[in-house]
Amino acid sequence: MNIKKYRQIRVVTTFFIGFLVSMAVMQNSYTLAIIGVLTGMLFLTLVRSKAKIVIDERERTIREKAAQMTYAIFAPTIGLGSFLILMFTSGKFPPAKGEFYYLESLGMVFAYLTLFLISLYAISYFFLNRKYGGGNEE
Amino acid sequence: MKNKLKVYRAIHHLTQEQFADKIGVSRQTVVAIESDKYLPSLGLAFKISKLFNVTIEEIFTYQEEKNEN
Repeated sequence: MNIKKYRQIRVVTTFFIGFLVSMAVMQNSYTLAIIGVLTGMLFLTLVRSKAKIVIDERERTIREKAAQMTYAIFAPTIGLGSFLILMFTSGKFPPAKGEFYYLESLGMVFAYLTLFLISLYAISYFFLNRKYGGGNEE
Repeated sequence: MKNKLKVYRAIHHLTQEQFADKIGVSRQTVVAIESDKYLPSLGLAFKISKLFNVTIEEIFTYQEEKNEN
């Protein structure tokens, strides 16, 4: 099985699971939804193991660039978002502090998420830099 | 960077799929290299030159980009 066939099967399976889940939601049947999603995941895993998928250097380059772009967009967005939310709920600007508890919590979650993201990036950068000869060794 | 990959592939009567299998990449990568949209790594360039039994310079030619500083 080549990648084209695998992608076709994946699209069909995704649509089928979506249909099944929507039916389950309409009938208020959580069991059907869970079974549908699990079966779909299992089926796709089996199909993927049979498919001949080549992950080559071009694919890896694309993934690297996509991850880099995602980080470059996501980190400032979420950081700025948390800053604005926390400013908004700090009491310096109307509405007064304490009126939107959930917003303050959301701001805190965003802020910690930004910190976690930046720390993770810094740690992985440090180790990868060492792995690829960027240490202080001469 | 320009390359004569298509020419060498034709000389050796290889389809894109067969060539991709021989060097261990996907067909899309072969298409991208042939159309100068993707620059292969040094390792892959060596692999290609070894397959065709020629030097890297015979397949790939370096051309300085116009907007390069």
